[in-house]
Amino acid sequence: MRVTFGSTFRNGLVDINRAAEQLALRQREVSSGRRIHLPSDDPSAMAAAMGERSEMAVLDQFTQTTDSVDSRLSVADSVYTDVINRLTNVQTRAAGGRSTILTQTQRDALAGEIRGAASAIMTAVNTSYRGMYLFSGGQSLTAPYSSGPPISGYQGDSNVQSVDVARDRSVQVTFDGSAILQGSAPADVFQTLEALATAVQTGNMAGIDQGLADVGAAFERVTNAQTRIGIELARLPEDRARLVTQKQAADSRRASVEDANLAEAISAATQADTAHRAALGSLANLGRLSLMDYLK
Amino acid sequence: MSGLFGMLSTTARSLDAQRYGLDSAGQNIANINTPGYSRRVVDFGAVPPTSERLNAGNGVEVLGVRRLRDRFFDRRLFQENPAQYRESSLAASLGVVESSLGSPNATLNARLNQFFDGFGALAQAPTSSTARADVLARGQALAAEIRATDGRFQQAQLDTDGRIRASVDDINSLANRLASLNDRIANADASGTMTLRDEQNEVVRELSTLVDIETIDHPNGTVQVSFGRGKPLVIGDVAYAVTVQNEATTGFARLYSGVTDVTGAISGGKVAGLVAARDVNVPGYRSQLDTLAYEVTQQVNTLHDAGFTLGGVDAPPFFQPIAAVAGAASQIAVDPTVAANANLIAAGSVAATPGDNGTARQLATLRDARVLSGGSATFTGFYTDLVYGIGQDRSVAVSEGNVRAEVVAQIDNLRDSVSGVSLDEEAASMMRFQRAYEANARFFTTVNQTLDVLLNLGR
Repeated sequence: MRVTFGSTFRNGLVDINRAAEQLALRQREVSSGRRIHLPSDDPSAMAAAMGERSEMAVLDQFTQTTDSVDSRLSVADSVYTDVINRLTNVQTRAAGGRSTILTQTQRDALAGEIRGAASAIMTAVNTSYRGMYLFSGGQSLTAPYSSGPPISGYQGDSNVQSVDVARDRSVQVTFDGSAILQGSAPADVFQTLEALATAVQTGNMAGIDQGLADVGAAFERVTNAQTRIGIELARLPEDRARLVTQKQAADSRRASVEDANLAEAISAATQADTAHRAALGSLANLGRLSLMDYLK
Repeated sequence: MSGLFGMLSTTARSLDAQRYGLDSAGQNIANINTPGYSRRVVDFGAVPPTSERLNAGNGVEVLGVRRLRDRFFDRRLFQENPAQYRESSLAASLGVVESSLGSPNATLNARLNQFFDGFGALAQAPTSSTARADVLARGQALAAEIRATDGRFQQAQLDTDGRIRASVDDINSLANRLASLNDRIANADASGTMTLRDEQNEVVRELSTLVDIETIDHPNGTVQVSFGRGKPLVIGDVAYAVTVQNEATTGFARLYSGVTDVTGAISGGKVAGLVAARDVNVPGYRSQLDTLAYEVTQQVNTLHDAGFTLGGVDAPPFFQPIAAVAGAASQIAVDPTVAANANLIAAGSVAATPGDNGTARQLATLRDARVLSGGSATFTGFYTDLVYGIGQDRSVAVSEGNVRAEVVAQIDNLRDSVSGVSLDEEAASMMRFQRAYEANARFFTTVNQTLDVLLNLGR
């Protein structure tokens, strides 16, 4: 076949352009660290990478929720600890009130301590987290109890709230104060403490015994609630670790389709550079060799 | 005596012939970069001897000049060009659409995720004004991104339409040029039409890059061109203009030959690629985006309507209700009442319970709900499918265009092997004619010296 000037240069230019395109592509791969920049570079890989990024966004959201839940439950846990300490103190004081040798002044002092514990428990249960009361159920804008005397009845509701820390797991983050401080008993803990304080003040032994029994029941409810929170708090690090692992796996899958293998990319870029130089040199040499050079 | 003088004139004619050959080589070299130029070759013929005794012949004469052309390769090129240019123009148009997506991980996909993240955060703090403002901002950002993406797709359609109109001008300009060339070729002496025919061939080649054409060569040298399943474009010296009419609904250009709409009949060339992008590909993408916008609106509103505001009353729709799928992407917007008051965002599913987060949780988990593509795709999955489709369409067009370009390059090479100018070959021709000229001149000198001998015989 005749090889003409036009076809030689046209083909040479096509080859140079192709080599230059490859070189630019490889250089961008090396400089950006990414194998794909546009969907058409590798549509399937781009779709897979987008899927993994969406999954990572979901996992990030769950991780952030887990952290928030951890803080919130820690606050609730400290409230329970406080309430338990107060109830324990009340039990000690009330038991002391059963003594028959106490003077009225001493009885008044014990009763005052018991009423002070009731007030402290109310303050603890009225704890809010970022502007929301933790122990009002769904009424998170309303304090569970308001100070008296006497301390009010429960002002929240039983509509406790949960948030999702994984697709298949949610954690309760608001609590029914009434279920904890009253449960199925006829009186809440504040009424119980007031009755106990009165019994201690008046030396009513039967009343003190009844009050101690009621405080014991309240103590058990609060302890059980704290145990439940403790279980959730203990699970949260596992949840967080699982989310981190899942995110690492998703990121690894994303990287495998989206990121450049730098060693491979650098090698390919070097190869493309060589090919580009060869294409340029080849065309330059082709143009240099001609029978015209031999004409005198 | 007369024989020697006759030889002088024979040699002079031979010198002329070799000079003509040299001239032809020069012409070929001069036009080495002229598009469509076909190399010329000079045909020489020996002039036979007269009946006179002892006459070897009367030298050489130029029989003519031929333009080397293989019509088969031209026709193949006219057939392959439309396919290549259709794919390359489609790829270019889709490239614009593809680039309008931005980084697929950072635009609409990210906005969708952020929107649902917002409800996730609201579920943690249903009464938080910050969380509510955040959900509102994210909803507005999502709606704005969908509208902006649709706007970019629409702009791509408009730009493509503009390029179609410009291409029609090119077609008509080339058709007029071809008609004029046909006229000049038909009315010129055949020997003087070589340059015109090269130009004619080049014009037809250019036409074949714009639309798929059928050509018929007539004996008088004219070329008849039709397009769009047999509609005339050029017959003899008459060009039939392609006209443009605006489509009633979209305002896009429709191409007419006479009174016939040939837009759909054009299957090759740049115009076909542009029409495919404008009328098939981009509308398909916009339709998918409409579906996404409609379903986002419907699904979010369904849950939101069932929820309750911070004040504990029935919530309004989160997004402005949209009546139909068509055009939804350009209409999606956060409901103005919600936009004006973030406390109207429904976080709770129980009335008069401001701390309830039931609806916010449901809306957050809507991210994973398979509510699109017949219940098989999530919102982000559906958008990923759209991005995949655009990437795949462009990738196929680029790949197909490259394959076709390779075919066209091969045919170009074959055509050049017949018609193209080879510098080495022309250099050889130059040497050949130069040497022949020198030999003839030497022969002339010899004859002249012989005549001198003869004329000095008597001295």
